[in-house]
Amino acid sequence: MGNFIWHDWARLVSIAACVYAIWACYWGFFYRKFFWDFVGGTLRDPGGLQAPKNQAFFIDIIVKFPVIQIIVFLHAFFLLALEWPLPVLKKLPIHRSLALRVVLLILQSFLSILFYQGTNATIYGTIAAFGYTRAIMMGETMEVAKENRGSREKA
Amino acid sequence: MGESWFHKEFLTPRRLLFNILFYGSHIFFFAYGWHSQATNKKLAGLNSLKYSVWSSRGAGLVLAYDGGLILLPMLRNVIRVIRPKLAWAFPADENIWFHRQVAYQMAFWAMVHTTAHYVNFLNVERTQIRKETALDIHYTQAGGITGHFMLLVIVLMYTTAHRKVRQQCFEAFWYTHHLAFFFMIALYSHATGCFVRDSTDPDYIKSFPFYSTEHCLGYESWRFIIWVGIAYFGERVWREIRARRSTNLQKVLIHPSGAMELRIVKPSFKYTAGQWLFIQVPEVSRWQWHPFTITSAPEDPYVSVHIRQVGDWTHALGERLGAGPSVVAALTKAAMKGSEKDDKDSYVGMRGDFVELDTATSSSPLPMVRIDGPYGAPAEDVFNVEVAVLVGAGIGVTPFASILKHIWYRQRKGNMGCLKRVEFFWVCRDAPSFGWFQSLLQEVEAAQTDPNFLRINIYLTQKIGEDMLWNIAINDAGAEYDPLTLLRTRTMFGRPDWKSIFGRMRQAIETGQYLPGSSSQLKTTVGTYFCGPTPLANAVKEAALASRTGHVDFTFAKEHF
Repeated sequence: MGNFIWHDWARLVSIAACVYAIWACYWGFFYRKFFWDFVGGTLRDPGGLQAPKNQAFFIDIIVKFPVIQIIVFLHAFFLLALEWPLPVLKKLPIHRSLALRVVLLILQSFLSILFYQGTNATIYGTIAAFGYTRAIMMGETMEVAKENRGSREKA
Repeated sequence: MGESWFHKEFLTPRRLLFNILFYGSHIFFFAYGWHSQATNKKLAGLNSLKYSVWSSRGAGLVLAYDGGLILLPMLRNVIRVIRPKLAWAFPADENIWFHRQVAYQMAFWAMVHTTAHYVNFLNVERTQIRKETALDIHYTQAGGITGHFMLLVIVLMYTTAHRKVRQQCFEAFWYTHHLAFFFMIALYSHATGCFVRDSTDPDYIKSFPFYSTEHCLGYESWRFIIWVGIAYFGERVWREIRARRSTNLQKVLIHPSGAMELRIVKPSFKYTAGQWLFIQVPEVSRWQWHPFTITSAPEDPYVSVHIRQVGDWTHALGERLGAGPSVVAALTKAAMKGSEKDDKDSYVGMRGDFVELDTATSSSPLPMVRIDGPYGAPAEDVFNVEVAVLVGAGIGVTPFASILKHIWYRQRKGNMGCLKRVEFFWVCRDAPSFGWFQSLLQEVEAAQTDPNFLRINIYLTQKIGEDMLWNIAINDAGAEYDPLTLLRTRTMFGRPDWKSIFGRMRQAIETGQYLPGSSSQLKTTVGTYFCGPTPLANAVKEAALASRTGHVDFTFAKEHF
């Protein structure tokens, strides 16, 4: 095998997961549905699946008020800014932390599986988290962002 | 970037035409898919879902179209056969670029299609126009399962195909891209769930395609696009069969610069100068095919490739052939000594000769190799122009080895077609790393009878230290051979000024000095053939095309790796 750099690949999957999550949340604002309402839910005609009483908390934070969607939306934007990276974040040491990404991705994956549109974001996020974990296990590190050396010539 | 995005996409006629046809057809299929769904009386039930179902159907049709297009540029053998006839119609060598454009479109329309379906299924659940839940459609029916599967495959394939990952680890890209097989199967069977129907329940039947087209009213697009998939599958099978034909690794030569030359005999292998092939050495890697430029001329009794040990695979190959780093290092040292001695004696320039690996003494015989190809390159049509300008940059000189050899063979036979003159430019950072190419150039240069026919111009772009400067200034003066390349041709330093090169060439042609006997009434075509990095390609292209006049036509072709 060639020199496969796991965190370089995981970054791309992570970006895909973030973009997917942002888009999913955007639609999640308009079409609100708790993903797990099929567990014990009753199917009404018309009206669709009605979640049972014990899921009321999730109905509150997903269907009544899209709290989860807003959190994932902002979270995914932050993670995207970290991964792309945004020039401001590029200089910070957290930009080079692989462990932080694993944590953020797992958190994002957990939150996005709660609402209807987010399942694929969860799958991709988990794959990216796996990629970063593998990178940590292989002892990969991210290089300090290099100064733009091309612009000034050495005398 | 030299030119603006707008200029590149809209003000270049060919590109503009491509954009209109490519994006126009996408929008057309989207509009058609939308319209035929929205106006279909039989699908009134589905149409109660309004915009989401219309856009999902439109985007679905576009995706089918893209699913057919995406494999077209990968039909390498078909492209090789048709490119001489259709070279004017489309740039056959931009096939990977086209493949990428289709892939980008696919990602975009997949987004539209999936988003629309997320809305569709939720509305089906809410209105209960069909007695099922959204998650039923997503995760228990064929359309949903294959769709989510394809999205996952897209993520995996696109991320590993990214330039960065591909360059780090080609294998990861290569193996992951074979998920395309399952992707295509999923694509062709995506509609078997019969989501688009006028009946309450899907109308499944016992015979192929297992749903009745009486009530399942999809576009049946798989009937059209599956042929491309079959053609591609056939192509891969054909490549496998062809690769298994008798192939014999005849000789391995180690050049002093460290390059290995593999001489392979394969009687069934026919090619023209400037083409490339894939090579596989099962003992090194069972599945990997690596592209190399053919460096022998079609007239040679063997097919040769020059391989430098730069990557994992080439190192492993070197080890296997008994040309490991130690052997090469020793050779190089000897060669350097040799060349120094030669320089001092101002003896006929030779950079030390190549060494043939002795297979009799080594522990194992030469490994089995398999080759697949040849695949096209623009330099095939070098004999159709009056003046050929060959520009190789860095490692990009390799195809010209074959072409120059071929020209040399044709010259001996006196069969040169239109070709009257050849200008060869070689731009590289450090010449000594391409020692094997120099020895080839020596041969070709020495064989020239007409001093004007072939002109070799070598440009060295590396920064020159003070020592080297003095060296050149003193040693170069009056020496018969160039101290760096040991050619009669002088090495030039710095980057070539393409504008003035082409400008002067045009002037010389117009005044009739350049091509003896050609009057200015006749139209002269100067074909430029380039191989090397893209920024330089653009610079050369711009300069070449800017020099066009009524009588002198400049064309440009670039080869890809």
